[in-house]
Amino acid sequence: MESAASSSVLRRHNVQVSGSGERTMMFAHGFGCDQTMWQPVARNFERDFRTVLFDYLGHGQSDASAYSTERYSSLDAYADDVVEIGRALELRDAVFVGHSVSAMIGALASLKAPEMFCDLVMVGPSPRYIDDEGYRGGFSREQIDELLQFLADNHLGWSAAMAPAIVGNPDRPELGSRLENSFCRTDPAIARDFARATFLSDNRGDLGSVRARALVLQCSDDIIAPVQVGEYVHSALPRSEFRLLNATGHCPNLSAPDEVTTAIREFV
Amino acid sequence: MSDPSPTEDLEDLYETAPCGYVSISPAGIIVKANRTIAEWLGRPAGELVGTPVHEILGFGGKIAFETHLAPLLRMQGHVHEIALELITAEGEKVPTIANAAEKREADGSHRFTRLTLFRAVDRRKYERTLLDARAKAEAETKVQREAALLREQFIAVLGHDLRNPLAALAAGVRLLGRKEKLSERGLTILEEMNGSLARASVLVDDLLDLARGSLGGGFAIDRSNAPLTPILKQVVAEMRSIAPERTIGASIEVEDPVYCDRGRIGQLASNLLANAISHGARDGPITFEAATTGNLFILSVANAGAPIPEKVMERLFQPFFRGAIRPSRNGLGLGLYIASEVAKAHDGRIDVTSDRKETRFTFAMPRSEPVTPKVE
Repeated sequence: MESAASSSVLRRHNVQVSGSGERTMMFAHGFGCDQTMWQPVARNFERDFRTVLFDYLGHGQSDASAYSTERYSSLDAYADDVVEIGRALELRDAVFVGHSVSAMIGALASLKAPEMFCDLVMVGPSPRYIDDEGYRGGFSREQIDELLQFLADNHLGWSAAMAPAIVGNPDRPELGSRLENSFCRTDPAIARDFARATFLSDNRGDLGSVRARALVLQCSDDIIAPVQVGEYVHSALPRSEFRLLNATGHCPNLSAPDEVTTAIREFV
Repeated sequence: MSDPSPTEDLEDLYETAPCGYVSISPAGIIVKANRTIAEWLGRPAGELVGTPVHEILGFGGKIAFETHLAPLLRMQGHVHEIALELITAEGEKVPTIANAAEKREADGSHRFTRLTLFRAVDRRKYERTLLDARAKAEAETKVQREAALLREQFIAVLGHDLRNPLAALAAGVRLLGRKEKLSERGLTILEEMNGSLARASVLVDDLLDLARGSLGGGFAIDRSNAPLTPILKQVVAEMRSIAPERTIGASIEVEDPVYCDRGRIGQLASNLLANAISHGARDGPITFEAATTGNLFILSVANAGAPIPEKVMERLFQPFFRGAIRPSRNGLGLGLYIASEVAKAHDGRIDVTSDRKETRFTFAMPRSEPVTPKVE
């Protein structure tokens, strides 16, 4: 039986539990969209895993009212949320599958609660996006401001006054009824904070302490997490495998769900 | 006679349309682009084919393309009205508004993505001006809110600190009256001082109520089911003694229980009566009615006199508002404001009707304990 506190955590993060199996596989979305990103992959594991999907606060169907700018200024707070969800679900030795910035959030969560996750799947990870002496993350500080400008110009699918109206999508019924752009619907102020927390993060120092077994899934042509960054993560982690996907871009979970599924299956 | 309709040349429409066309492979490589966009970018159209789309996007657009647009395109097949910045061969930015749609194979797999772009230089400038103006307004509002908060805190502290010297004065006046031998004249002065002290205390209480109300603490109310009738009778009696020259007719038919803060409801009744006494026609009667019907407690106060002008009506319940028709002899203009705050705190409201016949303030609130949803 769930306690009131844990059920409120699960509601706050719109946690969706499906499938059945001894082990749990938790999927975490990255910067940009919500848990929908993982559905094409997660559904492949429902037969032999309990699957868990969730939204970070301010994303998707989460409860943005629980958000505070002060608290979420670094990835630590996001990792705390992952641990809180894991505790509410009483996870032990589970698999954490994190896309993009969530790969590092998962690594931080595994440091905070070592018993919770014994396997980490890191899709397009980067411990630091901005270039540094002897390190090429691929970004410059000025470029982050351009990204913030884009976010200010585009409130994708977001309107503070948006009524909970639902529109049908007769062309693609598999989507059910969701609002235009709602997958990437994020409170603009929260998107800004998350962009800062993500792109200004530097967690290179944490990689060496990760005890969980890790799989680094690297896309072939990813401008956000370039191949050399994936290789860096692989070499800095004590126990990791590296796999270069044929998939290009930054979202293989959407563009090549089958390839990602196979890679995860072979790892676990 | 009409001109033969000119036929549209589709090839030319594509190439020189008043918007940019770009088609991108699933790997993000430009496979076709029209002349319009090539001209915007200052590059030959042929040169664009084969280059990654990232090369013509500003940095923000590049990241957003990966983190937002590509996923949205995969999930919903299209994205509309995205503000994208292009980068020309010279490195200059061209603001555009873009629509994008995925062209898919019969099996649903991704063939390519079509982007249609419109130049939006002025529009973007306008939008950013709006954004800047909003940011500025928000900053100013914040400063003002902080100043208002300080002011209200000052009022709260002032009101609170005034109470002690007032209490000391009252104690002194009491002692003088009881223990000292005073002349006839001295006794009259003392009585006047007492009256002034009482008025000053009411003003300070009102100030404290205002400060509590606007500092967000709301009116502290302490509800119970204790009988309300005695309090109402007491209020009417007090007002009759304060204004003996006025006729105050009272009808009180209250069936207990009424779940309320009796002191506060008494204050509301007193404020409404005081308002009727100050603003009603000198020679007209005032009626006070309190009754329970169904689940409602209703209290109304009516007076004769000129109707309240519409402009005044709008601001009646605002703090520090005093009809302005004639300078009030006393009070800060807080009576009706406090009455309406008391009403709100009881999940009730005050309605006003005013015509040539009478002006009537009617307060109504639910009688019973509100059923609050269980909190987990």
